[in-house]
Amino acid sequence: MTIVIGALQYLGYVLIFPGFLFCFLAGMLLCGIDRKLVAKMQKRVGPPVLQPFYDFFKLCGKETIVPAAAERITFMLAPLVGLAALVVIQLFIPVFGFTAFSGMADIIVILYLLLIPALAIILGGAASGSPYAGVGLSREMVTIISCELPLVLVLLAVAKTVGDEMGTGLCFSLSSIAQYQMLNGSLITKISMVPAAVALLLIIPGETGNHPFDAAEAETEICEGMLAEYSGAPLGVFKLSHAVKMLTLTSLFVALFLGGLGTGILPLDVLLMFLLCAVITAVAISFVHAVTARLRIEQIFKYYWTVVSALALISLVLAWYGL
Amino acid sequence: MFKKLIEESTGKSPWLFHINAGSCNGCDIELVSVLTPRYDAERLGFKLAGSPRHADIVVVTGPVTKQSLPRVLRAISQVPEPRCIVTMGSCPQSGNVFRGSYSVAGPLSKYVHVDVDVAGCAPKPEAVIDGLALAAQILKEKRGQMK
Amino acid sequence: MNFLGNVLSYQHFPIYAIMVLFLGSFLIAVFGENRIARNILALLSITASLGFILKLVGPVLMDGEIIAYWMGAREPAGGYAIGIALEVDALSLFFALLVSIAVFVSGVYSIQYMNRDDNEKEYYTLYLLLCGGVMGMVLSGDLFNMFIMVEILTFAAVALTAFRNTVRGAVEAAFKYLVVGCMGSTCILVGTAILYAQTHTLNFAQLSQLVPGDVNTATKVAFALLFVGFGTKAFIVPFHPLAADAHGAAPASISVIISGVLTKSGIYGIIRITYFLFQSMGLGTMQFLLVFIGSLSMFICVTMALAQHDFKRLLAFHSISQIGYVLTAVGLCTALGVSAGLYHAINHTLFKGLLFLAAGAVLHETGTTDLNKLGGLAKKMPYTTVLFLVGAFSISGVPPFNGFASKWMVYQATYQKAVESGNIGFLLVTIIALVTSVLTLASFVKVSHSVFFGQLPEGLEHVKEVSFGMRFAMAIFAVLCVVTGLFPNLVTSYLTEPAARAVFNVAHYIEAMGFDGSAVTEPVAVSFSHVGTWDPVSWLLVLCIALLSVTIVAVGSKYDNVSRSKAAATESKYELFYGGEAQELSQLGGDDLFWGFKHNWRGYFNYMHRLHSGIVNDYALWAVVDLALVMLFSLIVL
Repeated sequence: MTIVIGALQYLGYVLIFPGFLFCFLAGMLLCGIDRKLVAKMQKRVGPPVLQPFYDFFKLCGKETIVPAAAERITFMLAPLVGLAALVVIQLFIPVFGFTAFSGMADIIVILYLLLIPALAIILGGAASGSPYAGVGLSREMVTIISCELPLVLVLLAVAKTVGDEMGTGLCFSLSSIAQYQMLNGSLITKISMVPAAVALLLIIPGETGNHPFDAAEAETEICEGMLAEYSGAPLGVFKLSHAVKMLTLTSLFVALFLGGLGTGILPLDVLLMFLLCAVITAVAISFVHAVTARLRIEQIFKYYWTVVSALALISLVLAWYGL
Repeated sequence: MFKKLIEESTGKSPWLFHINAGSCNGCDIELVSVLTPRYDAERLGFKLAGSPRHADIVVVTGPVTKQSLPRVLRAISQVPEPRCIVTMGSCPQSGNVFRGSYSVAGPLSKYVHVDVDVAGCAPKPEAVIDGLALAAQILKEKRGQMK
Repeated sequence: MNFLGNVLSYQHFPIYAIMVLFLGSFLIAVFGENRIARNILALLSITASLGFILKLVGPVLMDGEIIAYWMGAREPAGGYAIGIALEVDALSLFFALLVSIAVFVSGVYSIQYMNRDDNEKEYYTLYLLLCGGVMGMVLSGDLFNMFIMVEILTFAAVALTAFRNTVRGAVEAAFKYLVVGCMGSTCILVGTAILYAQTHTLNFAQLSQLVPGDVNTATKVAFALLFVGFGTKAFIVPFHPLAADAHGAAPASISVIISGVLTKSGIYGIIRITYFLFQSMGLGTMQFLLVFIGSLSMFICVTMALAQHDFKRLLAFHSISQIGYVLTAVGLCTALGVSAGLYHAINHTLFKGLLFLAAGAVLHETGTTDLNKLGGLAKKMPYTTVLFLVGAFSISGVPPFNGFASKWMVYQATYQKAVESGNIGFLLVTIIALVTSVLTLASFVKVSHSVFFGQLPEGLEHVKEVSFGMRFAMAIFAVLCVVTGLFPNLVTSYLTEPAARAVFNVAHYIEAMGFDGSAVTEPVAVSFSHVGTWDPVSWLLVLCIALLSVTIVAVGSKYDNVSRSKAAATESKYELFYGGEAQELSQLGGDDLFWGFKHNWRGYFNYMHRLHSGIVNDYALWAVVDLALVMLFSLIVL
């Protein structure tokens, strides 16, 4: 009996909270808020906040065209795998004190799990056979390489800082990082972590492929790159994945640097988490989107491996010497 | 209920794909101006898509020259159903000042069913938004008729 | 009866495992004209060898027994080892297991793969000679025997590299390999001679007893010679260009052996001399040497791979890059590090074997491995594509495949070492390892796009899927890749940790042969604990549930809402979007796909391009310079 209840509980985690339903609603809302904010910053009225929902449902109702040149199975399966992988990452990210599945993956694993959705879209694009997709996947891969170095540095800096404080020297577990922050206050309050937090804020638009780091999906030059041949429901799933990825990365930021703000009451925590995610979206995605123009791919690479990496490196060196 | 939801959404999220069929660029600029802060068609959910696979509404400008005709038809055929075709400006409807030229194959309605015509040379942004909103309504109806 | 029981005792199995391979080689040379006889003989000997090694897993890896085997029962006399000995501890058997699995699979693959070549008799003779050489080397208990086996395997590998001598560059590659390989073998021979002059013994156990207590200039020179000699066998920097040429030219089944097994034997030699013979791994400087060369190999070779446009050359550079991971982890001198390194060694054998076999399948069907001429094969060769993707995901460390599990342990080990030793250099190694991993991913995205996805070029319309035998061989590797990735705890506790314990139990190794090992002090306490958590099975379960629910929703809501008329496939609706133009072939060149990355590193890439001149004189010079530097290093610090 207890096994059944336990299984149902975990199924609930996967399907409802913090799994699919939550990801779907929160991610789409974040996306809508982002679009509205960008519009406001540009003195426009902007689409309704629910616009991403309309877009998604509309795409579900459209015809799906699989090009004759495409490798059908990969083409159709890629969006589903990408979405599922993203939802699973969301299960590992703690909502302050609460983690759906703890002790299953640490932050190095999260770093690699984040590759799977990107890989899904890359392989889906490659399977479509379109040359636009080829150019897009080349740029997407370079963007991933660009983000990887600073992201690694940020994660190692956090692991070292928390590990030092806890006396183990190292801490890779996300739930331990959350626990530590619940007891000792958010990591952002430490001077050594501020550059890392800024670096992560700058990484977020790169990882999600938002402006100005969206060279991979530049709709005006390469017809949205890897998505060029997607239509209908699979396209909708990719758009949903993009929204969920925004949620995942912003909530990763909250879990890593703002973890001390939790109240201990789950519904309140969830609400707080969502609000914080929205604030971070506003700062890291919407604001940057509204004030910048698209960078070329080699500029993206240079920017991440110099400015952002330097910020993260400062944090890592400070953390290394226990400051 | 789900079908109703999709039908409602279809009217609220029309994505545009713009084809220049030999236009003088006047209408093209007016189309972009529709998306600028002053007129902001995004408030109705309009968005310019990069690929015909993503589009719901195809906006054709220009008198449809012989060179562009097969390309226009190919791009339109690649738009998934349900789709709407909007001609923008007088050129694709009548040929305008290019009418009778050896290189003009238009009007477009000779080749495909056109849902909305927005006349003018170039049409005012208000007229364009009006035409596109009408196209969105037609799109919704077309979605309703699909199984 | 007693005799039979004696003969079938597992004490004899190590020598049988070597012997059957050599025996098979000689028998094929004599009776190999008939195709069926040849195949049966080859399969029989590799299967028997695999069987003998598997039989030894129980006593050696599980129970920790060390098999000391004196050939002809010639035990040491007067305190000195006179006879030839085999000594099989967990480390030797671990490598022997890798060898026999890789040999078995590539043997099965060869039967279909080589059916379009002539001189198959010579092929199998050399092939079994190569396999016997590697097997003999890892099971050998004395240094001179090791040298002989190294010579056998080097010459067999050189001959096999030039086997398809109609392929452009094959003879040239073999010549380069011959020159530098011989320099390496000579180094090993001279090093062995010096040690023999110093200690009057060639037995590993006895050398391990005598050498560390008596370090003088001569043994320091011997160390440098042996280190560089085994370095050439592992193709670590600066010997990596040889591997690229050799792999590019050799048949794929041989590349599996060269990359998956031969390089491992070099690593085995390095472990033996650093941890056992000289017991110098406690020194920070020695750890620096190994980790430095390892990281250098890791990074240089992955960037070199990014610049390649030949499938097999690209794989060759990656194989050295992965060997860099192994060497780095082994060089940390922590139990976790050695365990992680050995884990990566198994995984590398499996996924690189799989990738080479997939490259071979593409070559077999299309006749080329040039990334710029291939594309869209996924529709023609679906099984090969899936198997290739398993290998590609494994090597680039995508969870839950095996490459991720071992790389993840390498990161844990390096970062833990950094924190424990307070040395910021090891932190840099962690970062290099992580970045190398994502560059590897980039490289394999390039391959999958340029070979299996993308558009099908003209002339490849009639390509067919490879035969069942080849697919079966690849499937063995693919299944092993998934299994070793899903159950990292089983692999570490039953395979790598016993082997790592053996590395840190030199006294036992010496005493098993009947010598005095009481003077040995181990550099570190053996502890495999680490702070990370990774539970691939549960993760996969959650992913499957998630994927299943998405799929159910997708199918339920008519996700696959496609009009599927056969005639419609030629309609313009189903053409690719080319900005309105008719669909045409426009291939993206494989070699410069990631120009955004390469543009920023152009200084580095241009420098590397100039450096890798392809002239054998240069590579020989590199070998000499490397030897001089290592010698200087060992004279100063050892």
